[in-house]
Amino acid sequence: MSENNPVHDVITIGAGPTALSAAIYTTREDLDTVLLEKGVIGGLASITDWVDNYPGFPDGVAGLELGERLQKQAERFGAKIELAEVTGIHPKKGLVEVETTDGIKRAKTVLIATGSDYKRLGITGEDEYYARGVHFCATCDGAFYRDKKLVVVGGGNSAAQEAVFLTRYATHIDMLVRGPKMRASEVLQNEVKKHAGKITVHYNTSTDEIVGQEGKVVSVKSTHNNKSVNFPTDGVFVFIGLKPNTGFLAGSGIELDEIGLIKTDTKLQTNLPGVFCAGDVRSGATMQIASAAGEGATAALLMREYIDHLARTPQVHT
Amino acid sequence: MPKNITIFTSNTCGYCVMVKKYLSSKGATYEEVNIDEHPERQKDAYALSGQLAVPVTVVTKQDDSQQVVVGYNLAQLAPALT
Ligand SMILES: Cc1cc2nc3c(=O)[nH]c(=O)nc-3n(C[C@H](O)[C@H](O)[C@H](O)COP(=O)(O)OP(=O)(O)OC[C@H]3O[C@@H](n4cnc5c(N)ncnc54)[C@H](O)[C@@H]3O)c2cc1C
Repeated sequence: MSENNPVHDVITIGAGPTALSAAIYTTREDLDTVLLEKGVIGGLASITDWVDNYPGFPDGVAGLELGERLQKQAERFGAKIELAEVTGIHPKKGLVEVETTDGIKRAKTVLIATGSDYKRLGITGEDEYYARGVHFCATCDGAFYRDKKLVVVGGGNSAAQEAVFLTRYATHIDMLVRGPKMRASEVLQNEVKKHAGKITVHYNTSTDEIVGQEGKVVSVKSTHNNKSVNFPTDGVFVFIGLKPNTGFLAGSGIELDEIGLIKTDTKLQTNLPGVFCAGDVRSGATMQIASAAGEGATAALLMREYIDHLARTPQVHT
Repeated sequence: MPKNITIFTSNTCGYCVMVKKYLSSKGATYEEVNIDEHPERQKDAYALSGQLAVPVTVVTKQDDSQQVVVGYNLAQLAPALT
């Protein structure tokens, strides 16, 4: 064990609700724990406007506040959060090596808790007007659309939640839903209905092109019942689902399912020894903050068990 | 250290919090312009960055040259502070 490249008990990849919850448990078990985060501490929860269904907050809680509270709680027991991106992992000599933008780190166990990122539409105008009229984060960029017209693309929970959030700025929102109904929960659909004065939902409407003029978005071209429809707008917010953050695992040998989520056994362990996975990036996860916290806690206890087992088993280093 | 740092932020932006945390961790002081509280300053953020997004960090160096970093981009923020 070298001083400048110590072997940590636990490294988590990501510092979202899953990893922070795991860290609360591992540090209280006296396991040396480092969290590596490339984006926002608190993960997607921290860039969500408002969370109404996390237990213990009867009046709801701002996502940003929940993220900060989780961070504080993990750090209180000694978790160390480092700002770095993980670019690969591989087992070595009974340990796990983690390649990061800050060099190689080593641990007895690794928890992959990298969650997911916004999916893109892949249509003309999307890349060209990215952050100049096309956005994926309402809490980040919504404030630029005070008294403006907007289009929101999508019909799931995120789209509904973010459309409602954007009503605090926009004068009107056209919500384009590809199918005949919204996939969002009843509660969120009712929230959208409450804002019917500002949000118009268009069903069976595809989003085909984002059109700009002189560097600014001016409209969205769509198709409804085989007819072309044009929605004049100042900006477009896209919420069509999430894709798992597993790109950095290419070549690691970790098994993924058909949509790219990480497969685990009943002990939340991947096919690589010592590498665990929990939260939104795990195949079978229910993609909620409460379940992320629960999976994080479970993974922490199972990693403790794994480390105890390692200590009792003589290691053959190859 | 730069002469001056200004960050354009909004009330709900998680990436803005990260930029502020990062600057504080490097001992850098900054002036914050919250565009929710000062909507009239939105156009300044747009003029500087060409983007309708926060955070926008404007670093004024000792020689008065300016570097504008859009988003929470450590690859650009770290060298901008030197
Ligand atoms: C708009 C929106 C609204 C939502 N609202 C709710 C709600 O009201 N209630 C609810 O329960 N759930 C909600 N969710 C879902 C909830 O946010 C997620 O279930 C939860 O955040 C998952 O936690 P996680 O830690 O598994 O992943 P994430 O929160 O996604 O965190 C993963 C972290 O890993 C980091 N990361 C990724 N790759 C790397 C890498 N290579 N190196 C280092 N770091 C990396 C990411 O930057 C991220 O911070 C919402 C989601 C969205 C998108």
